Amino acid sequence: MKRFGLLAATLALGLVLTGCNANPELNDDSPGNTLGETQKGGTLNIFSEDPDIDFDPGKSQGLAITSLSLVHRRLTTWDIQPDKPGKVVPDLATDTGTVSDDGRTWTFTLKDGLKFENGDPITTADIKYGIERSFSTELSGGLSYHKGLIEGGDDYAGPFTGDDLESIETPDEKTIVFRLNSTFGDFPWIVSMPAFSPVPEGSDDPGTYGLDPVASGPYKVESNQSGAEAVLTRNDQWNEETDPVRTAGPDQVVFKLGQDASVTSQALISDSGDAKNGFSASFVPASQLAQVQNDPNAKSRLVTSGPGALSYLAMNNEREGLKDPKVRQAINYAVDKNTYRIAGGGEISGDYATTLITPGIPGRVDYDLYPAGPGGDVEKAKSLLAESGADLGTLRLLTKNSATDVAQAEAIQQALARVDITVEIRSVDTNTFSADATNDEGDYDLALTSWQPDYPSAFGNIQPLFDSSQIGGGNYNISRYSNPEVDDLIQQATETVDAAAAEKIWAEADKRIMEDAPIVPLTYNRNSFLHGSNVENFIIGEFPAYPVYFKASLKG
Amino acid sequence: MNRVKFAASRILGAVVVLIIIAAACFAIFYLMPTNPAQLSCGKPCSPERLAEVEAYLGVDQSWWKQLFDFLAGIIGGRTFGEGAAAIHCNAPCFGYSFRLRDSVTNLILQRLPITVSLTLGAAVLWAIGGIAAGLIAALRRGRFTDSAVMGAAITGISAPTYLLGLLGVLLFGFTLNVLPIGGYVPLTENPLMWAFHLILPWIVLAIANGAIYARLTRGQMLDVLSQDYIRTARAKGLSETFVVGKHGLRNLVVPLTTLFAIDIGGLLGGAVITEKVFALGGVGTLLLESVSSLDIQVIVGVTLFAAAVVIVANLLADLSYSILDPRIGARA
Repeated sequence: MKRFGLLAATLALGLVLTGCNANPELNDDSPGNTLGETQKGGTLNIFSEDPDIDFDPGKSQGLAITSLSLVHRRLTTWDIQPDKPGKVVPDLATDTGTVSDDGRTWTFTLKDGLKFENGDPITTADIKYGIERSFSTELSGGLSYHKGLIEGGDDYAGPFTGDDLESIETPDEKTIVFRLNSTFGDFPWIVSMPAFSPVPEGSDDPGTYGLDPVASGPYKVESNQSGAEAVLTRNDQWNEETDPVRTAGPDQVVFKLGQDASVTSQALISDSGDAKNGFSASFVPASQLAQVQNDPNAKSRLVTSGPGALSYLAMNNEREGLKDPKVRQAINYAVDKNTYRIAGGGEISGDYATTLITPGIPGRVDYDLYPAGPGGDVEKAKSLLAESGADLGTLRLLTKNSATDVAQAEAIQQALARVDITVEIRSVDTNTFSADATNDEGDYDLALTSWQPDYPSAFGNIQPLFDSSQIGGGNYNISRYSNPEVDDLIQQATETVDAAAAEKIWAEADKRIMEDAPIVPLTYNRNSFLHGSNVENFIIGEFPAYPVYFKASLKG
Repeated sequence: MNRVKFAASRILGAVVVLIIIAAACFAIFYLMPTNPAQLSCGKPCSPERLAEVEAYLGVDQSWWKQLFDFLAGIIGGRTFGEGAAAIHCNAPCFGYSFRLRDSVTNLILQRLPITVSLTLGAAVLWAIGGIAAGLIAALRRGRFTDSAVMGAAITGISAPTYLLGLLGVLLFGFTLNVLPIGGYVPLTENPLMWAFHLILPWIVLAIANGAIYARLTRGQMLDVLSQDYIRTARAKGLSETFVVGKHGLRNLVVPLTTLFAIDIGGLLGGAVITEKVFALGGVGTLLLESVSSLDIQVIVGVTLFAAAVVIVANLLADLSYSILDPRIGARA
């Protein structure tokens, strides 16, 4: 395996070198990122590195605009337009929900004329059942924000043992009511998640539903063969008039599974065979971006997202030396974001970050508490360190073991050496990284990682990373930051139903956290995707940094 | 009778080896810091849910308990979970993948045709090509042909399959655009397309493996040709074809068979890298993906399968010796 990785790295390096221009000019206007009329027909190919695809909505962590959205509709969904913030819009429901006066009860009504692929009408009982089954251990693994939110959810073990979840009521076939533990302003976004897709109880075999689900969206699963391909064909029971966002251009969508990333990129660059009518589900690796930038034909088919996921250096706030905010602020000044970004692929890989709420998320206020320019401010850092008088010893930096990640860790190591902080890099595989970074012990001083919210709300930027309830136990407060004042702000913002008011509190929390400097924000990452010459309406909005699958279509 | 006794003791030995391998898999996996339950706990994941998932997957148990359950499953089958969603894996149950919703036995059987197609096709190529090249080099010893063939063989041995594969894809798939860049078409569906899609992976695998056969054949042949009885045969006036074909080649059969059996056995357990480059979803890919998704039961199942194939291949090679070379049978 080690040899394999080394070879891949060598080959990647070779491709960078043959690309001649290691730092290509950033193509900011992305001419391809526009939405036009949708032609019907053809077969769209989606190349995926994953060897299998599971269409079970209960187990999915997918975004509302990717694979599963072609097959499953939810109560709400996302309207994504190029260069515009994403909006939550009704999907199966007539609106994005009505909230009771106390903010804890949400009611949704279904549209008329909704049908499953077998012609049966979609009722609220099917949606209730779909949510309930996501609570079962057999189908765990999906986005689970609703599980702690819906009243009684913490103790509910799913419908297979015979119980139902009483806090979800379906007074009639068209109405569904949710009772929550507390007020939650983002609930309309929560019901856009995969678990809020209808599942007819009679057709549910939890063991195989992911291979052969009952479709409510524009496509049904024709075949799904692990390691080979999954074929989606038109669902003639889907009614375009009830669906505000899905354009359903292609007659067929084929997921090509288990594809080698470099071979896929190469096929897309040369626009050959199946790649002409397709796109890759993973973004173009840094090593091949240079090649694309130097090939006018390929470059015209490259769509680069706006600044998205936050890459950051987490500092373990529980460690002796790093307990002192002055030390953490010093490290904020000492880090060189420029060399870090070069190690990650240069300008096209992202923008410099200073805030916790990422661009494209409503309510973001731009600020920089530690102004030093991308190269850092060594003097300022040194004087802060002297003030604190802390003895740091050698700091252990936890990172993933891909070539890019290690290069980025080395950039951090070198930058901190400028202020006499010694860093020892510990690089591990992805699974070990998440285990080590999220366990209860937290045996590291620094960790390099990145984070993208699961839906476009500041909640997703802040709560999982900085709420004290999210430390250890497999959760993502990797800086192990705990501040009761911030916990209060997070709770306040979470419970505020009025979006504008909530955004204000989130912005306040953002700045308040950075005063304590638990992390160093490094870059807001940009992702670049390639599509074939016959693909159009291939767009990326401000959030998320991924293409909208259900709008992509083929030229006539 | 001797042969039966021999086979029985080998099979017993094989079972012991397989149990040790299974134990090692579980023990290594248990000692790793990663938690497979974490991957299927959901996001966000509460500690209570994590504990439930651990119990469901059985990874909350010590490694020897997991090994015991696994071995018991082979004899008596297993049931995971309870109620309407319970999953049954019938005996002999060599593990179950919650991620792929199927028993490990089925998963391997589904992917085996791909791996078998890849291995056997390549084996035919490398056996013919490698042995022929070795013979030519031996008979042209010291001349240009010899150096050229052996130079090519060294290149073949040293070139990693990953590189050969990608270069092959680049040259034949993109630049010349004459061969498909990957994928698999079942033999039963379209034999022509089956071969068409496999030709490039066959050649890549054959180059990597055939080189060793060329070197072995050349070395053995030169050794044999310098023996006294060959000189005698030639002195008797036998034709060169007969000397090389009958007296020479005969001596190569046993070492080549051994090597061939081990190679085939190894590749049937999964040609991981070749399968990956050419997007062939065979047994090797199954192993690769189960390692990255911490699917312990599949890892153990595929490892055992691969080990069993190697053991069987060796056993067959050993048994074939007595047929190929009666002297070995007489001693046994």
